[in-house]
Formats: sequence, C-alpha cells, structure tokens
Amino acid sequence: MIVSSDSRHSDPLLEMESVSVNFPVKRPHPFGRRRWIQAVTDVTLQVSEGETYGIVGESGCGKSTLANAMIGMVRPTEGTVRFRGDDLFSLKPKAFKDARHDMQMIFQDPFSSLNPRFTVYDIIKEPLYIRGGASEAAMTEKVLELLRLVGLDEEDLHRYPSDFSGGQRQRIGIARAIVLNPRFLVCDEPVSGLDVSVHAQILNLLMEIQKSRNLTYVFISHNLAVVKNICQDMLVMYLGKTMEIGVSNAIFANPLHPYTKALLSAVLDIDVRESHDRILLKGDTPSPIDPPRGCRFWQRCPFAMIGCETIPAELVEVERDHQVACHLVSGFSSEQRAAGLDRLVSPPSGG
Amino acid sequence: MTDPMLEVRNLKVAFPCAGGVIRAVEGIDLITKKAECVALVGESGCGKSVTALSIMKLLRTPPSVSRIDKLQLDGRDLARLTDREMERVRGRDMAMIFQDAMTALNPVMTVGKQIDEVYRRHTRLSRKDARQQTVSALELVGVPEASSRANSYPHELSGGMRQRVLIALAFACMPKLIIADEPTTSLDVTIQAQVLDVLKSMQQDHDVSALLITHDLSVVVNMADTVYVMYSGKIVETAAVQGLFLEPRHPYTQGLLASVPRLSDDKQAFVQIPDTVPHPMRKPSGCYFHPRCSRSSIPCPQRMPRLEPLENGRQVRCWHPLHQEREM
Amino acid sequence: MSERSVFLRVAQRGSSFLSLVKKLWQHPKGRVGLILVGFLVLVAVLAPVLAPYDPYDVTQRAEKGLRPSLQHPLGTTITTGQDIFSMLIYGSRVSLMIGISTGVVLAFLGALMGVMAGYIGGFVDNLIMRIVDVLLVIPTLPLIIVLTNFLGRSYFVIVLVFVLFGWTGLARIIRSLVLVLKNSNYVKAAELAGASRWYVMTKHILPGTSHLIIMNTTLTCAGIMVAEAGLSFLGLGDPTAISWGKMLAEAQGGGALLFGAWWWILAPGAGIFLAVFSFMRIGIVMEEVFNPRMKASSSIYKLFKHLNNTYLEEVFRSMEDEECPESSQEPDYLDASHAEGPP
Repeated sequence: MIVSSDSRHSDPLLEMESVSVNFPVKRPHPFGRRRWIQAVTDVTLQVSEGETYGIVGESGCGKSTLANAMIGMVRPTEGTVRFRGDDLFSLKPKAFKDARHDMQMIFQDPFSSLNPRFTVYDIIKEPLYIRGGASEAAMTEKVLELLRLVGLDEEDLHRYPSDFSGGQRQRIGIARAIVLNPRFLVCDEPVSGLDVSVHAQILNLLMEIQKSRNLTYVFISHNLAVVKNICQDMLVMYLGKTMEIGVSNAIFANPLHPYTKALLSAVLDIDVRESHDRILLKGDTPSPIDPPRGCRFWQRCPFAMIGCETIPAELVEVERDHQVACHLVSGFSSEQRAAGLDRLVSPPSGG
Repeated sequence: MTDPMLEVRNLKVAFPCAGGVIRAVEGIDLITKKAECVALVGESGCGKSVTALSIMKLLRTPPSVSRIDKLQLDGRDLARLTDREMERVRGRDMAMIFQDAMTALNPVMTVGKQIDEVYRRHTRLSRKDARQQTVSALELVGVPEASSRANSYPHELSGGMRQRVLIALAFACMPKLIIADEPTTSLDVTIQAQVLDVLKSMQQDHDVSALLITHDLSVVVNMADTVYVMYSGKIVETAAVQGLFLEPRHPYTQGLLASVPRLSDDKQAFVQIPDTVPHPMRKPSGCYFHPRCSRSSIPCPQRMPRLEPLENGRQVRCWHPLHQEREM
Repeated sequence: MSERSVFLRVAQRGSSFLSLVKKLWQHPKGRVGLILVGFLVLVAVLAPVLAPYDPYDVTQRAEKGLRPSLQHPLGTTITTGQDIFSMLIYGSRVSLMIGISTGVVLAFLGALMGVMAGYIGGFVDNLIMRIVDVLLVIPTLPLIIVLTNFLGRSYFVIVLVFVLFGWTGLARIIRSLVLVLKNSNYVKAAELAGASRWYVMTKHILPGTSHLIIMNTTLTCAGIMVAEAGLSFLGLGDPTAISWGKMLAEAQGGGALLFGAWWWILAPGAGIFLAVFSFMRIGIVMEEVFNPRMKASSSIYKLFKHLNNTYLEEVFRSMEDEECPESSQEPDYLDASHAEGPP
C-alpha cells in the first residue's frame, strides 16, 4: 500500500497534539504524597487517511493508554485529540457517539476479547444491535457477509468461542470490529498472542480488508519486522514518551535512538548467516510512577551520559519526516558540555 | 561418537477422552548430546510440551497413556524408575524451565527460599551455605542486588526477573539436562533478548545439555545447535540449525520459515501456510501435512511417509522433500 | 439460512438452566443430589398426604412415649404423645421453605449489591463495602435473641436477620468477579459501539456471574438450613411450628436419652443431614460442571477403568511407521525431477 508523501500534508484523519494521560496512584493513607502514573506524556502525531500508522513499544510504554485516548475511551489529562478535525472530547454526546461509531479496536488476546457465553452470531451482531436501527434479517445478512469475508463458515454462527483456535477467534474479533463500517481501526498487537505461523494469515487478512475498504489503521506492535512491512509512519515509545517518530522508511534506513536500535537488534532475525551486533539493554523497564526527570530511557541506555539523567530530551528533526529525542543526536549546549554533562555514565562494554 | 546425554526412543502419548483418543505424540525419537542445545519446534498443539513433560515423567496416567521404548539420561535408564527415584533425578540431574514464571513459582515463598530448597533437597548443604549458593546463582543469572532480591516474593519482581529466577532454579544443582518450555514467550522483546543471552551463556559455560521447546524460530536461530521440527505429533524434520534454516527439506519447515516476517523484506504480502493445524482427534489420512502442502501428490494422502535419513545426519519425513537447491 | 432457524438454535442453547440440570443428572454425584432434593421437596409438598397423623391436632394424641411400631413408625413423643413420623414429615416444610426462600432472597440481594459495587465503583463501591464490613462484625446470634425479645419468637425474625446479614458473602465474591469482567475486552468493544451501562450490566456482567450466584446459593441454602435448625433448637423459632431443630430440642428436654428413645433424636437429625447433604452435593457438582478444569479425577478414572486395552494398543500400533516396502518400490510417486534415488 503505497501512500504518497503528499498525503501527510492533507488533513489527517486523527491528530494528537501534546497529549498527556496521567493516572493517580491510590495513596496508602490520605496524608501521603500524591503520586502519578504518567502513562503518556506529550505525544504528538498525525494519522493520514488510508494509511497504517505504527506505534512501537514494549509493555509499560503507554501504547495501550495512547490507543484508548485515540478512540475516546480515556480522557487525556492534557492536549487534544482531533478526529476528522473535531476535538473528540469536546463533542456533544450525540456527536461523540457518532464519531465513535467510526472507530473500533482489535484486541491482543483472542481468548479474552470475546464473551465466552455469546455465540459467534451474537458477538459479531452486537455492535449492530447496540447501534440499533436494523432489522434482524438485515443484521443476519451482514453478519454472514462478514463471516465469509474473514474466512469462516456459516455453520460457525452457532458455535461458541471455545470451539475455535486463537487465529480463528481473532478473525471473529476482526469481523466484529468492521461490522459498523468504521473508518478507523486500532489494532492492539493483533497477532502477538498467536503462533508465528498464524501471524501471516491474520496480517494478510487485515491488509486485504484495509485495501478493499480504504481503512485507516493504527497498528501497535513490538515486532519491528511487521511494522516495517505494513506501516508508512511510525512512532517509537518508551515509558510514555516519544523516542523516535517519522516515516518508517526513514527510520529503518537510519535508526538513531538507542532504544530503536536495541529493538531492532532484539528482533532476532532468522538469517543464520548474518550475526549482527546485539545491543543488550541493562535492567528492566522501570515503573511509570514518577518517571525520571531527564530522558526516561537513561537508566537502561548503553550510551547514557551524565546529563541524560536530569535534562529531558526534546524531539529534533534530523531529516525530513524523521525526529528523534536523544541527547546523542541533539547534543548538549556548550555550557552543559563544559559542566561535563556529556561524559558517558559507563564506558561502552563489548557487544 | 560420544554417548548421547538424553536418548528418547519411540515416545507415544495418548489422552483417552469422551469422544475418542487424542493422539498427542506419535512415536518420536530425540537425541541430545552433551553440551548440545536441541530445539523442538512446532506450533501450538503439535505435542511438544507433552513431549517435555513425558521426558520429565510428569505426565500422570490417567489422564494420559504413554509408551516408550527407551528413555535414558547419561546412560541411566529413567523409564523404569519409580516416582520416588524420579524425584531425586528431577532438580539434580534434569531440570525444567517453564513458560509462565508466575505459576511455576510458589507465590507465598520468597524466591531465595525456593532456590535454597533445591540445594537442601539435593545436596547436604547447611541453610547458611545453601543461601550463599542461592545468592551466587542469582548473581550468575544477572539479578542485581542478589542478596536482598533473594528475599523478594515472585509478584514483587518483573517478568524478566522472574524468568531469571527460574533459570537460577533450574541451574542450581548444575543438572545434566535443562528442558526449557517456551522460556521467553511471555516476555517483552528486549527482555527476551537479555534472558536468552543468560540462558545461552549458562548453558555453554557449564556444559549443560538443553532441550529448548518453542514455536518461535528466531529464538532457535540464536540458541540451538540441532533442530527437530514437530507437526501434529510427529517429527517431520531434523537438521543442524544452519542447514535447516538455509535449506529446509520439509514443506512445512519451509512454510514456517517463510511466514516469519523479516526486516529485510520488501513490502509485500506475508507468506502464509493455508488452513490450520489438524485437530488432534481428527487427523487426516496419510501424511498429516498433506491438506496444507503445495507439493502434495501420490501417495501423500494415502500413506504416512517414514522419517528417512539424509546426508549430514539430517532426517525428513516426506514423500517429496525439497531439494539441495533452494526452491521457491 | 433463515433468521428464524438462527434464532431457534440460539434459543435452544440459551436455555442453560435445563442444560445445567441435565449436566447435573449425568454426573453420578449430581444425580444423587438431584434425587434427594426432589425427594425432600416432594415430601414437604405432600406432607398432609404422607403423614399418617396430623401433628398439629391436639385432640388426637396417642399414648405418650410409645416405641416404634406399625402404627407409629417412629413412636410417639414422651412429652405430648405426638406421632414422631408425622412430625418428621411436616418438619421438612419449615427447613426447606426457610432454606430455599432465604437463599433465593440472599441471591438477589447479594448479587445486586455485588454488581453495583463492582460495576459502578467509586463512592457506591466504598459505601457498600463499608456496610459489609460493619455487618460482618455484628454478632448475629445475640442479635436474634435480643430481637425475639422485642418482636416475639417467630421465623420472621430469623429470616429477617439472615437476609439482613447474609448477603455480604455473596456480594463480595460477585464484586471481585465483576471487577474482572468490567475490564474485559469484549466489554470494551461493546462500549466502543455505544453500549449503555445498563446494557453492559445486563448482557455481559450479570450472565458472567450467573454460575457463581447459582453455586453460591445452593451452598447458602444448606448453611441456612443448619443455622435454622440450630436456632430452633435454642427455642428461638416459632413455638407453634414443627421443625426438625425444635424436635431435637423437645427430644432433649423430654428426656429421650434418659428413656433410650434414640429414634426420636436420630430422626430429625437424619432429616437435617439429608437436606444439607443433598444441597451441598448439588453445589459441589455444579462447581465441577462450571469449571471443567476441576473435573473430578473420578470421572476420568472411571473412563480409564472401562478403557478397552486392545483398542488402546491398536491406537499405539497405528502410530508406528509402516515397514519399509523393500521390493514393492513403486516408481510412480517419485516425480521426474526428484534427484534422489531409491532409499
């Protein structure tokens, strides 16, 4: 699916401007200090119509919260979410509901995203039923049409999710997601819970549906190989902040952020002949409660400098449609350098 | 040719149930040499986890029924051992790393105590000495501040940390064989890389044989020396890892390899294997893979092919295996 | 594919109550429980028909302290000369009625509270949970004793206290489950499509808790029956009614042990035991039915006992690779481009 670079200049279908989402942490007693989970901090992005936008990150990076903010399920603490030009969270209830009909979501875990007590028919029909306004016959017809589209049989209508494999359940989830003809679909790690050999089937199905219905996808994943293949634009997130953002071709051709590089080397390629240098990170993902003041990645970064701990990194444009938030790239000011803030925290280790 | 560390011959496992019999494992042979890492690769439901449990003799009858011609660990016959004798083998000579650390670890015991337990059970160490060993084991697997971390409960640790604890548990008594069942599947990508790194260095530094069970081919590339590909209860191909990835012989192996998205790919559709794995109670006639195989012809639907030896110690179970030259 | 047939099939599957009963019947222990409960209900309903004497009738008193005989299968009471057998039969009415009705009311109340606390959350959740905390602290027995002083001895007081205090257990369990269900992805999908809170509560949350409610209720009924028996034994129930607990009290007070009338004690005791046992049976079996992972190994053991060994060996034999056909090497399955020679 080739999208011309001009589309970036046209009105984006979804736009997020400096969105932050913070959740309060329950205090152990009423007089304790109030702490916040900074799930998403200052994220800005534009999703053009018809494209697939990739959001890359691991667990705890805030991508699910970001996705929830996109579809109106969680209200941002700061910033705006614009869908088709309208500020989503300022819409009147009816307009909000209508806008929401144009958005849907495909979930990661095929085993918990379908109500085990509902038949396949009930599951796929549900959004239609909730929206109302369609006769039973019309709904049945639509359900059958979608069932065939995702590659299942008429006789599967009366079965329960437990009768199906993970890949098949995901297909049911896809059918449910497109039954209301949404324009915008958030795919939250749709294949991570499935066997590798089934990934291809589901991904191909998603791509086909996108092409035939001109849908816009936001594709959340930690598998960079898939993202490279299907996403035109992407955003790399860590602990709620944008690390690297831009056109995916540019980022893959020239990955600059240490986290992006680590992700790339961690996506173990199965080419036995090449043994690339693996960048191993230190430690574990820290908690999003009260994250570090400076760059949020500094504790695990193999190239961290002293200044990274206290000075936050801003997004700078390194080339057209490619921005990075990293002191290695943007550098320190002369005063900061004079203070020795650019010295490495730990000397580089081998590999 | 040195004696193998683990030798499994003709393992068969079935689960009788109300509607018939689930044919989980249908006569497989498995050999692991000393300090070798063997990968058992297959999709969900192919029988690989059942195989691992059978080797550890953790399958109960009922609900399973199994037959085996030979089960030997370092020359010692395990098939004839009683449960009590087997308990002494597990943990000391043979250890398992499970997929889900949260269910494998006791939630009400500190991790240090759980590792201590392994030492005290299989060696004559005092409590103090066992704790010393525990701390050094934790340090070995890369747990920071090991002595204080040892007093944490499993839920207080992150996923990657817990997996490292499992590795420490498994390696505690330096067993001869480690069986790792999807050890990193539930982890994040970067944590996965770290944990696999630890596993690999532990295995290599201490000459421990390993049987790695996974569906993720990218894990196999970095860890294994020999690969066994399993499909619907049968081994369909075995080869050294280089040979398998560069020149797969079985169409299923080729399909699996092709369906993994690569970073080097151009933007085209993902290669997929049509349909799904056969139901373990309703397997097709002849070769189990034939309904999904593009090379299927006579006698694939009629007769199950045998596991034939090829050059370099490779084996393949196919009437029409792929060639020397790479086929597209 | 007509929409009507779709509907019919969905409706058939939807009658889960009947299928539940069917499943219980299939399970051997469940069958026992069902039969016993059915038997007890029948006895309670047909008490006037089954009892040879009317135990309430004060004029037709026979001789006191008779031993069991054909006329009086369980003899007569030492104190009043009532027929014990008839009393036993009528006693079932009180136990079952109080047990079942209270259990059902508690099911509604507990479920309602649990769902509200779990789903609405926030202030409502806090309020309900704090009420639960308070109720759990208050000792019910002294309370009943105090209330009977003011309101008189009747089953109304007992039931009232049970209902007021007994919903807490179920509410807590349901609340936990609702908290989990609330965050399910399918609930999210429904909310995305515009589902109202009411829709989610009735279509997703409540059905998801139904099995827990049913299971808990059966066990609660059993518990209430025991509690009621105990309270009646203490004399806190309606003094004019006939209940098993009261029979035990009368037996003790009337000197049954002294006079060796063990049947007088055994009969109501057995009645209580039977009632509680049957309900608990059903409750336990239901847990197995709802949670297939808990399937008692006994059913699998039974399967194995009846396993045909030759069939099993046949299965294992079929797993073997076929023998190498040395001479019968058919060349037609070697395709022309196949470079390898014969094996």
